[in-house]
Order: sequence, then structure tokens, then C-alpha cells
Amino acid sequence: MKKGNEDFIKKGDPYILLTSMGLVFTLTMVFVLLGIILVNGLGIFWPSDLYEVKLSDNRVLIGEKWATDLKKSQGEADITRSQLKIGNRDIYGFDFAWFQDKEVESIVANPELVLIERYEYGNFYGYIESLHTESNIYDKSSENFVDKILVTLSMVDDLKEEFVDKRKEHTDLLSPLNEIRRGSSLLKMNEEYLSSDEKELLSEYEQQEKDFLESNNHDIVIIENEISDLDKRINEFFITVRTGDGIEKEIHLKDIVRFHQPNIMNVFSKTIHYLAKVWEFVYDGPRESNTEGGVFPAIFGTVMMVILMSILVVPFGVLTALYLNEYAKQGPIIRMIRLSVNNLAGVPSIVYGIFGLGFFVYMIGGSIDSLFFADKLPEPTLGTGGILWASVTLALLTLPVVVVATEEGILAVPKANKEGALALGATKWQMIKDIVLPNAMPGILTGLILAISRGAGEVAPLMITGVVKLAPAMPFDMEFPFLHLDRKFMHLGFHIYDVGFQSPNVEAAMPMVYSTALLLIVIVVLLNIFSIYLRNQLKKKYKTSSF
Amino acid sequence: MNSPDSSKYHKKIKRSNDIAKIIITVGGYGVIASIVLILMFLLYESLPLIISPSVDEKDLGIADSKANDIIATGLDRYTEVGYFLKAKGQIVFFYLADNSTAYKDSISLEESESIISFEKGTLGKDIFAVGTNKGRIITAEAKMSPEYHRNSRTIKCSFKTNEIYTVENLEENTGEEISSLDFTENEDGFNYWGWVNQKGELKLRIYDSDEEEYYSHNITSMLGDVNISSIKFSSSGELLMVGTDKGDMFWFDLSDPEDVLLKDNWRFSNSKITKLEFLIGDNSLLIGQQDGSLTHWFPVRKKDGDFKFTRINDFEKQNSKITSIQASPRNRSFFTINEDGEIYLGYSTTKSIQLKLDHTENKIISATYSPKADGLIVIDTRSEMIYYSIDNDHPETNLNTLFGKVWYEGYENPAFVWQTTGGSDEFESKFSLIPLIFGTLKGTFYAMIFSIPLALLTAIYVSQFAPKKWARIIKPTIEIMAALPSVVIGFLAGLYFSPLFEKHLITAFALLILIPIVFLMSIYVWKLIPENRRLRFPQGAHLVFIIPFLAASFITAISFAPYFEDLLFNGNLNQWLYNTLAINYDQRNSFVVGFALGFAVIPIIFTISEDALSNVPKSLTSASLALGASQWQAVMKIVLPAAAGGIFAAIMLGLGRAIGETMIVLMATGNTPIMDLSPFNGFRAMSAAIAVEIPEAPVDGTLYRVLFLTALMLFIFTFVINSFAAWIGDKLRKKYARF
Repeated sequence: MKKGNEDFIKKGDPYILLTSMGLVFTLTMVFVLLGIILVNGLGIFWPSDLYEVKLSDNRVLIGEKWATDLKKSQGEADITRSQLKIGNRDIYGFDFAWFQDKEVESIVANPELVLIERYEYGNFYGYIESLHTESNIYDKSSENFVDKILVTLSMVDDLKEEFVDKRKEHTDLLSPLNEIRRGSSLLKMNEEYLSSDEKELLSEYEQQEKDFLESNNHDIVIIENEISDLDKRINEFFITVRTGDGIEKEIHLKDIVRFHQPNIMNVFSKTIHYLAKVWEFVYDGPRESNTEGGVFPAIFGTVMMVILMSILVVPFGVLTALYLNEYAKQGPIIRMIRLSVNNLAGVPSIVYGIFGLGFFVYMIGGSIDSLFFADKLPEPTLGTGGILWASVTLALLTLPVVVVATEEGILAVPKANKEGALALGATKWQMIKDIVLPNAMPGILTGLILAISRGAGEVAPLMITGVVKLAPAMPFDMEFPFLHLDRKFMHLGFHIYDVGFQSPNVEAAMPMVYSTALLLIVIVVLLNIFSIYLRNQLKKKYKTSSF
Repeated sequence: MNSPDSSKYHKKIKRSNDIAKIIITVGGYGVIASIVLILMFLLYESLPLIISPSVDEKDLGIADSKANDIIATGLDRYTEVGYFLKAKGQIVFFYLADNSTAYKDSISLEESESIISFEKGTLGKDIFAVGTNKGRIITAEAKMSPEYHRNSRTIKCSFKTNEIYTVENLEENTGEEISSLDFTENEDGFNYWGWVNQKGELKLRIYDSDEEEYYSHNITSMLGDVNISSIKFSSSGELLMVGTDKGDMFWFDLSDPEDVLLKDNWRFSNSKITKLEFLIGDNSLLIGQQDGSLTHWFPVRKKDGDFKFTRINDFEKQNSKITSIQASPRNRSFFTINEDGEIYLGYSTTKSIQLKLDHTENKIISATYSPKADGLIVIDTRSEMIYYSIDNDHPETNLNTLFGKVWYEGYENPAFVWQTTGGSDEFESKFSLIPLIFGTLKGTFYAMIFSIPLALLTAIYVSQFAPKKWARIIKPTIEIMAALPSVVIGFLAGLYFSPLFEKHLITAFALLILIPIVFLMSIYVWKLIPENRRLRFPQGAHLVFIIPFLAASFITAISFAPYFEDLLFNGNLNQWLYNTLAINYDQRNSFVVGFALGFAVIPIIFTISEDALSNVPKSLTSASLALGASQWQAVMKIVLPAAAGGIFAAIMLGLGRAIGETMIVLMATGNTPIMDLSPFNGFRAMSAAIAVEIPEAPVDGTLYRVLFLTALMLFIFTFVINSFAAWIGDKLRKKYARF
């Protein structure tokens, strides 16, 4: 028997079991991680039921079920607690409430319960009592009450749009005046030291201002009146609402994003709501310091940055790979250089980040500022983080990836083809252009995709070279010169870090973080799968075309 | 053949060939240059930290025909204007550029009266008190304030006498000679004057400007029978230090202006104490002596809870009596002057004399720091004025403060401390890189002990025992993990796993114990299956077999762990750890970081070592199997040694990634720079420190450069590790290439 044991161990079955256990663990980790993000990221937009909870101390809470936990304390009975998302931050001051299950007197999913998404103070949970329009007051018992609110809501949205248009008209009308005022205020700051020429200029400015106001007075008054009328009109639409504990409140329709009554929604209308929320998530800007709304600016910023980075990294990466393989004399020095390029891939990204900050932003950007944008100093133009420097930094970071992948592609080109081309009288460049590059294309593409996926997921170097939590303007818009390389931008990865760790209301922001993480993972994983596919194609080609 | 068309074509392709060659070569060189550039730039930014200061000398000419009359000097903050004060009360402001007079004024003195003592009140300001031989103490202020015009700046000089106080000697009806004087004006509006008269009496006068009240004390009797040789207020006025000609020190507490308290006295050498000076922050005291020794002291809490001034450091002994010490208003630098006319520039924290200026053979009459401490002006007995501009941007760092233990003010012992920002101007930044290096290594260590076994076991199974079909799916799945943005892993670790672990710590522990037990059980059960049956199992049977056991252990741990916790640890393991073992459990700790970093590292180690394992030629394994080895024996004896190089390289690459990973450690640790091996504490890693602190760091300041140094270390660290991995991998690959 003892011999049998020894034999059993020697033959190694226990060890094989051990290795299989390793695999189980690793795979479990992978799937648990992805599962957590999938479940949390996908689930949040689904409208969940609302409950009205009456507690024994006469508190009434209305909200979505959020979490439960078991609290243990020594010598006492266990306490099961539940958490509701109760919203109404303007009334209660916090979004969540805990209660002990034993305190509960009743839990009802009242069909009339409504969730109102607002532009400020987060969600409102409660009942709608009445609708006030310019001319009428509708009680909740009136016919088609909910539809009436919906119609009025879209009307108010139209009014709001009109309001914005008028405001823009107003600004446009006054824009020449702003020019004049900027000029005169600069002079006024130094009024004591003005030369006579400058004094003349100042009085000229003042005269212009006066003239402008006189000649346009009529238009200005009209438009200002229209604006204030509109503002007044918009403010006349509101609903009165009631919370669970009976507090009544007016909510202006202009402050409402949308509302729904989840308890009477069927699967179909829930699906529509879900899709609308997903659309809002990818296509709208953030609200409430990034904890609600969408991530469109972050997606846009990420894409812009990645495009700029690719424009920079691909040519240089390909040139380097060509140089190393086709032009440089192979020897110990080239081996060292190749090794260094490979090793750069292992240098921590934060090192590139600090290099980018010190070298690109402060040194090069600072010099450009003092040469070309001296009139704006001390306000920096390129001497501060921005999308240009972030892209350049990431291009440097992803360069080794492109070089290595391109080299792989170039090496896969059969020597016979290349020599054949040269033998037929092609110059080296013709040979590279017509034989090497087309054949190495999958390699180059692989490199590009890997670089993009790395660039999209990288955060540390970006957060010190130009990413911000909330960018006031996109890096690309309809304003001349369209592409604003000096602007700061938003980024999906940084969005996760910022909302998850630096937001004032982390708990309420968590769903947002999960869905952003899911979006980022989907992008990165798809890119990677694509590059693996390309690499496999390359391998196949390599195998079949060997002479 | 050679038609003009063809030759044109040939020329064209030749030209494009040449252009291509140039562009590609330039591009290639450009990239190579950029690698060098990164290294060079990091070096360029971090080297100034350890460069010793340098000095530029500028001769300003003769100050005054009678040099011995000069009592004191001063400079404005832009070092455009200076002044000197003469014994007869004249004060002369002059331009440094051409030594022309800017403004003149004077303190009105009596006929035979002259100034015999002088002291500035506040570091970096020109409020001072002078004492005369007729018993008058005059407090005055020299103002050199800049006025801005559109493109220029002029310094406006003015002088005003704030207060004149006459010390009456009632017995002899004459004034006292104010021989040794000190004065300070603190931020709360208190003024403190202290002086020693010709009879050796020490007198104090305190003025509270809020209450408009004066307090006077004669504290000679508290000192006993001694000859006072030097006195010094701290700049807040709360401390008064007194030194005697026998080397005694007295420490008075003046925080209550009505009641002067003797806190402590001690003697540490027999040499006369010639000069006392507090450094910025009122903690550090420098004591200069007759025999040229200079010592650094600050209060340290002793075991009984009392503070005692403790001798921290002896600076290099000078050849002659130290006549003056002046503290910098900016940092903890100072300079001393000795009787031989030598000026020593020192820094208290680095314990070093950084520079020696052998001024002249003449004695120095007066010297003073500029308000920004970037220069000093010196007047010697020949009345020669010299301005030294000091280039010393980072006096607080040298190799010892960056990598060694430093005894900082307020600490009980020398320690490694990383603390870069504080509340006040007087705060001293502490730049020991050791806590950061420790943090990085700690995180790496926990990540590696978690991920190496898992990754290698997985790689061995996938490459050797798994059915090929499975391997084709499993491999890319784990590979894609390597591309998961670390910010996602970090966020999950910080916001999902760390609260989860905190809540279910007991389950994690239970699993640690349960899994080996269940594993042994599974082996036993496996053995129960007859061998001939086992051999006929398809590939992958091991995996299918082990899953139920693991699932069972998970379910058991999750469902029974709370009962264990109730039974053994009073229902709360974290509390129990704290109470019984004094282990503090931080929610974001090294345990969580190790786990999270594992997500980032496992795919790397797995991918590369799996490649290495599956690239071992089949012929080798087949041969050993043919000779009767079991599958495992072939793996152990043949495949693993053959793939050792690749596996080693894989581990090194994983190590490199763990060292440099930023977002995960940033989000999943508390980022506290403590040095503690406990897995339940957080740490601050080098990479996270860079990410958090560089946006706040003033460009080219000390913190900025220290962070560049940190980055340089990370760069070199990872570069060396990766090169080493490549080298080993290459070598071992060659070794087995012959098969």
C-alpha cells in the first residue's frame, strides 16, 4: 500500500490536480471580474420598482431597493437592514436611507409612485399632485393626467430651446460691443500711465460704445424683453409633488429631465425606457458633477486623443521598424537598440506621464507660449496640459507596441519575395513599397489596434498631461480653427477614477462608474479581439507563403 | 532602350529611393534619440537635487569711509536696494547696481550716545531694535517696498522710528548700557525686548499691542550666579534661550507675559556660548561657541512625556569663535561667521555645511541674508561691501535625506518620512524616498506571491494537460485580461473588493484553510478510482473532477464562516484582530492590492510562460514518455527545465508591470506612506506618489525634482529588469534551440 502511495505521487496525479485547480482559480477570477461589471453596468438603466415603506416610528420612505445587509453585534440579535435610494436630495440632504427590517410596518409598490429625474438635486421619488400651466390647473384625478404632463413637458422643452436661441441672438447682437469694451477696459486698467495716443484711443472706444448702444438700442430692448417674457412663461409651468411623509413641493417643468411610473410599466415600456437611458448615457453630457447623465464628452475626448495619437505613432513606428530591419546594419548596436525599444514597452506609463509633463508641457509648451502666445501670458496656451500633449505622450508610450508589431509583420515577409524584387531591378524603396509594406500591413494594423486599445485604457499619464473631470468645451467644434489642440479634454478611464474616487457623492455615482467601466472594457476588448484575429491571419499567411 | 523617358523614370525612382532612405533613417534615428531623450531629461530634472550650491561674488565697493562705525546691513526682497546703519544713527539706503545713495535718514541720538547693540525682529523683515550706551532701546523699521508701474518696478525706501524706550537706572540715575539685546515681534502683535546691562542683569519687556499693556521683568535671579553671554527669543517670543560664558544654557517659557517660567537648564561644554539662533519654525536652535563649535538642538519628547532640548548634530568645528549666526527666512539654511572672517553656509536637516566662503583676512562687521535667502551682503573692516548671490535651490535634499534616516523637528527619533505638504510656511517638507520604495516593493511582493503560483499552474495545465480545443479558448481569454484597463481593476478593487473583504474577512481566511484540506480530499478520492480507469479518462478529466470540490469548499466557507466568527472571534474578526493582536485593519490594504495587481500580472506571466512551455519541442516529451515516464514526470523533468528561461522572463516582466502599475495602487491603497509589513495596512507606492503629487508640485521646485527622481528610478528599475529578462530568455532559448 505504501509503495502504491509513493507511486501515485511520483506519477504526479496530485500535481496535475493542483495545476487544474490553478486554472479554475484564474478563470473564476476573470469571469467574476467581468461578471461584476456586466451585471452592475448593464442593470442600472432598467427601471426598478418603487416602494413605499412605512416604518414603526411613522417615517415613510419612498424609493428603489438598493441593498440589504446583516449587521452583527456582540450579545445582541442579528439585525437585517435594507437600504433604499430615496433621492429628494433637496429635501432630505442625502440620497440613501437605511432601515431595519423589523421596523417595517408595510411595504407597498403603489402604482402611482413616480420617479422624476431632475437637472438638479438628483431624482425625486413620490407622488404628483397637480399640474399648473399658464392657463390651467389640472388635478391628478383629471383625465389623462400623465399624458397632459408629458405634453406640457415637451412644450416647455420647446420654449427652453427658443429661450436658448434668443439668448444666443442677444449675445451675437452685443458681440461688437464686447470687443470695444475689452479694448477700453485694458486701457482703463492703466489709466494713470496712458500716453496721449492711448488716451485718444480710449475716448474713441467710449464714443464707439455710446454710438453702438444708441443705434442698436431698439433691437436690444426688444430682444431683452422677449427673453424676460420667455423666462417668465417657462416659469409658469410646474407640478406640485408630495413625498411619502407628506411634504409638498413645486417642481418647475424646466427642471425635469424625464419622469416615469415604474410600477405600472410593462416589459415593453421598460425596454423603451432602458434604451432611452442607454442612449442618454452614450450621447449626452454629464450632469450633477458627473454622477448622472451621459459620458459623451468623455467618449469624444477619448476618440479624439486616440486619433491624434495614431496619426503620430504609426508613421514613426513604421519608419523605425523599417529602419531597424531594412536599412540599419545588423550588429550588436542594432540588437541593443531593438532591445531598448522592446524594453520601453515595460517602462511604467506614469514615467511617460511625468516626462510628458516636464518635457512637452512645461519645456516645449512653455517655450512655444513665450514665442507665439506671449500676449496671453501669464495665462498659458500650450504651456499647460491639453489634448496635444496628452496625445504626444501616449504616442511615445505606444511607440514600442507599433514597432514590435510592425517588425513582426516585416519579418513575416519571405526573404525570397524581397530578393526576387531586387533581382528584377527594383530599387530598395520600390521593394519596400511594393513587397514589404503591403505584406506587413496586418502587422502594422495589429500594432495600431494594440496601441489604440492601450491608449484608450491608459489613465495615469493622461491625468497629468491634460485630462480634466469636466471640460468646458470639446477639443473639436464648429468654431475656428475647429481643432483646438490646446484644450483640455475628458477621458473615459479618467472619468471612472474621478467619479468613483473624487466625487462628493460616491454611492449615488457608483452606477455611473460601472457603466463607464463596462463601456471602456467593451471598447478595449473588441479592439483586442480584432488584433488577435489579425495576428492569426498574419500567422496563417506566414505559414502558407514560405517557400 | 535608353530613351529619355526611361532615364527620366530611372532618375525619378532613384530620387524617391534616396528620399525614402533619408526619411526612414531620420525617422529611425529620431525614435532612438527619443529613448535617450527620456533618460536624459529625467536625469536633467533630478540631478540638481544633489548638486552642491554655488556662489557668485559681486564687489559693491566701499560702503563708508569709517567702516568700524557700521552696525548692521539689510537688503530688499529683489536685491536691488540695500542699507547700512551706523553707530551714530545714520541709515543709508543704496542701490546695489552702482552703489549710489537712494535715501538717507537717521535715528536721532544724543551727543555722546551711540548704538552698541542691534537685533532684527522677524525673519525676513527689517524691523529692528537698537540699544545705546545711554540706556535707550529704539525700535525702528526700514521699509523697501516695490512700486509697480506699467512695465517697471522701483523700490521706495523709507525709515521710521516706532518707539523709543529709556531704561532708567534709579540708583545711579544714569542710563544702562544695553550691551546684549534681542527683540522680536510676533504675529499676534506682541513685542518682546530682552537685554543685558553692564551689571550683568537680564531684563525683559513685553508689549501686548491688543491690550496696550507693558510687562517688565528682571529675571537675573532665576539664573543664579552666571555671566550671560548671549540671549535669543524665538520669533514667536514664547521661548527665551540664554547662554553663559561657562557654557550653561537656560530655557525660559514666556507664553504667559505676566509669569516667566524657567523650563530647563543644562550645560554641555565649558566653552563660552557666543551666539544663539532659532531657525524658521521656532524649533531648531543653533548654538555657536567660543571654541568654534556649532551645534543643532531641538526639543524632543522624552520617555516621561516632557520635552527637552536635545543635541541633534554637531556641525564641522570651525577654527575660531563664532560671532554671528543668521537663519534663512525661507528654509532651514543658515550661515555663520567666525572671527577669522569665514562664512559657513549650512542646512540643519541635512546636517551639513554646504559651502565655505573664505571672505577676506579681515574681520566681518556685518552680514545679512536677503529676504529670499538667495544672497547675502557682507561688510568687512575695510568697509568693503560684497554681495554673494547663492544658487542653492534644493538645500534640503542630499543623498542622505533622500535615502537615509533623518531626525526631523518634532520627531522622537531619526526616521524615514515622506511628507511633502503641510499647513504653514514653516512646515518642512520631508522627502525620504524609502517609504515609497518600500510601498512599491510591498505591493509588488503581495502581487507576486499571489500571481506567480496561479499563473504558472494555469500555464502548465493549459500547455500540457488541457485538451487543445480548450486551450484555444482559454488562452485568448486570459490574454485579453492583460489589456483590461488598470483603472477598471483599480476601481473594482477600491470600491467593490475592499469593502467585500472587510466584511467577509473570515470567509477569506476560511477559504485559505479549507482549500488545502479539500484539495487533499480530492486527491484521496481521485486515488480511489482504479488506475486503469483513470488512464482511460479523456484529457481534461482532472479539471472537471476538481471543480465540484472547489465549489463545495466555496459554499462551505461562505455558509459556515459566520458561525466560526461568532464562535472564535466574538462575531467580528476585524475587531478581534485589533483587540487581541493589535493589528489594525485598513479597508484598502496590501491584501486587496496584491489581489488586484494579480489581475494585471497573471495574464502577463501566463501568456509568456505558456508560450515558453508549449514551444518545448514535442520530440523531447515524446522521448521521455517512451522511456516510461509518466506525463507529469515528463513535464517536471523535461518541459519545465527546457522552458525555464521563458518562465523566468515571464516572471520578470510581470514584476516590471507590478512595480510600475499606477492606477491600481492609487485606487486600492490608502496611499499612506507608512512602513509596515502587515498585509492589512496600506502603503504609498512610487508611481502613485508621482500621479498624485506632480500636478500640485511647483515647476522646478524640490518636490517636482524629487518626483522626477522617483520616475527615473522606476525607469531604470523596469528597464534593467526587462533587459535582464530578455537576456536570460535569449540565453536559455539558445541553449535548447539545438533540440
